[in-house]
Amino acid sequence: MISRRRFLKSSAGALAGTSAAFLERPPAFAQKRELTFLTFNHFVPASDDELRRQAEVFAKQAGVTVRVDTIAGPQLFAKRAAQATSQSGHDLIVTGAADPFLYEQQLVDMGDLVAYLGDRYGGWYSFASQTCQTSSGWRAVPWFWVAFPGCYNEAHFKRAGLQAPKTWDDLLKAGKILKKQGNPVGIAISHCTDANISFWSILWCHGGKVLETDGKTPAINSDKAAQVVEWYKDLYANAMEPEVLSWDNASNNRFLLSGKGSWIHNAISPYVAAVAKSMPIADEINHHASPAGPGGIHCATTVNSLAIWKFSKNVSLAKDFIKFLFQKESYNSFITGGSGFNQPPLKSFAEHPIWASNLKYAMLPKEADYVHEQGWPAKPNAAVQLIVVNFVLPDIVAKAINGMPTKRALAWGEDQVKLALQGKLRTEGKG
Amino acid sequence: MAVSQRALEATGLPRLGRLARVREWWEQEHVFGYSLIVPALALLVGLVAYPFGMAIYFSLSDYWVGSPGEFVGLQNFRDIVGNEMFQQTVYNSFVFSIIAVVFKTVLGVWLAMLLFRDFRFKRLIRGAVLLPWVIPTALSVLAWGWMFDSLYSVVNWTAIHLGLINPPGPNWLGMTSYAMTAVIAVNVWRGLPFFAIIVLAGLVSIPREYYEAAEVDGAGSWGRFRNVTLPLLKPVLAVVILFSTIFTFSDFNIVQVLTRGGPVNTTHLFATLAYQIGLTGGNLGQGAAVSLFLFPMLAAIVFIQLRYIRRE
Repeated sequence: MISRRRFLKSSAGALAGTSAAFLERPPAFAQKRELTFLTFNHFVPASDDELRRQAEVFAKQAGVTVRVDTIAGPQLFAKRAAQATSQSGHDLIVTGAADPFLYEQQLVDMGDLVAYLGDRYGGWYSFASQTCQTSSGWRAVPWFWVAFPGCYNEAHFKRAGLQAPKTWDDLLKAGKILKKQGNPVGIAISHCTDANISFWSILWCHGGKVLETDGKTPAINSDKAAQVVEWYKDLYANAMEPEVLSWDNASNNRFLLSGKGSWIHNAISPYVAAVAKSMPIADEINHHASPAGPGGIHCATTVNSLAIWKFSKNVSLAKDFIKFLFQKESYNSFITGGSGFNQPPLKSFAEHPIWASNLKYAMLPKEADYVHEQGWPAKPNAAVQLIVVNFVLPDIVAKAINGMPTKRALAWGEDQVKLALQGKLRTEGKG
Repeated sequence: MAVSQRALEATGLPRLGRLARVREWWEQEHVFGYSLIVPALALLVGLVAYPFGMAIYFSLSDYWVGSPGEFVGLQNFRDIVGNEMFQQTVYNSFVFSIIAVVFKTVLGVWLAMLLFRDFRFKRLIRGAVLLPWVIPTALSVLAWGWMFDSLYSVVNWTAIHLGLINPPGPNWLGMTSYAMTAVIAVNVWRGLPFFAIIVLAGLVSIPREYYEAAEVDGAGSWGRFRNVTLPLLKPVLAVVILFSTIFTFSDFNIVQVLTRGGPVNTTHLFATLAYQIGLTGGNLGQGAAVSLFLFPMLAAIVFIQLRYIRRE
């Protein structure tokens, strides 16, 4: 370990060299440097505790202070926009979905760091480049992603003599029986993140897509999408209850934990919460791989990534901090701290003992092979962001459920996709 | 500190003389008067005029978060006017605001009349009535969210146990008309105290003699209300309705917390749609255009009502 004195001595030399080159920037000896990091309140609070602990260890090693600020996830949109506009704020921020594309001109290139980490830890999964690599390079480093398996109540399934569903059609068949048993299944069809994630997953599994790979051509109005809407209508009428139309991100967790629901498409948070609160239902909850369809197995995910503002005065320090977070020891503790919620984007971390220690987690790391960020096969560009935040996809289903003919609902969806594509976001690559 | 004191000692009397001259200049009416306005003016410019100017600039440009855009004229306005989601929002905003303001007016006057009476713990209850207005909206609306929850709705539970509805009861935030009813109900609950307290202040200022005179002329309670209370309350009512209309049209928290504009955009208001497109969606230009649509409408409402108030 480097002592603080040794670090200061060696960094003094480096700083002297740097300051000779950039005379306008005097070395900040007088004051301890502070690295600031903004992220969201983690769904598993212990994960934030672990992050703060690691930040302290790094701070001691580097002889700096590290401030980790956490705010509610939905507030990040406004915060990021404000920081980019005012060109001031945190050094390091958490990004997700389209952020590396939206803020392409404002974020530091991370190519060197991505290559270094990839070489060292078994390479990145394919979704990493889909989410963080824009036409001008890597604008963020994938940090962790969230698996979206099937979360089900094993006891309800056993009572109905059913196995965990392997396909979406299995789910439909099982759901019809389970609803009669008094234990409906639930997929949100409302204005919430989960509703988006499930729709993308089911659409891909049926061979459909919202946008072509070029990210400019609408592809939502297709026979395959119509099949998906019909499937949803059947599931809604015969296997679910109307409450799915008003769900927020926490509703399906409550639905499963209440003992009423038998199946939801969600992150493992209900199980983690049940274990943390010693709820008896934890024993009944289990997970299985996200279902497949005629088009194979695909699942949407949210990838949380780390990005550094160009206006930051601590770019190399921030990169060192990211390297530190990805050290095997740190990342393993991060996975344990998050009770298995934080899925690694680097292949060698998938061998973490936590997956083997609990059979209910066994299939989680395998999901990495077939998850994609929303928007796939297109990159999660500005249009995808608008489609996602305007909840166009769950609204197509909701309209069809409320009586609009499927074809018309899809035509409405196509119009909305076209409107989202009208935005003319300028990117660095295109000038 | 020591340095400044020494400096003062060194300068001595001439320094004081200059101070006296500054004071003399300061105490002139036009200097002093204007300098009193400066803080308010700075606040207005910094917190109202500047953001408003920026909003106009954003709405006329192709501005995305993180990438300043070019001037595009009225393109953003044309785009949103043609968007079905925006048309739905305009409709929602009118339905929401008109129904909510009517309810707040009628119930507000009624509540004010009740509070005007003499009863035990009058002060305490008058204070307590203000609670919905005082509690941070985001917090109280979270509680309402629980009351309308699809699984644990206390509203449905109560109604079912009173035998008013059949189980499982309506899915408040998932069905179009119910969701609008829910957000209007919460808005009325929150805005009612503001109405009641201001109308109460108006009631207090009506001289008792008018009522006595009306009674002598044989007016009943309805007659007194129609011919004395209402006409004398009109100026106060006009101002409260004006404020309330502005607050209601620009409401954000209630919808954002309860429905996020759902189901199928049937509860979106200007502010929530602008937030969704501009901040979470990243298209600041269009988001600003959506929120600026509020401006001419509110300006028209303010103009009409202010003219009415002046005529009165």
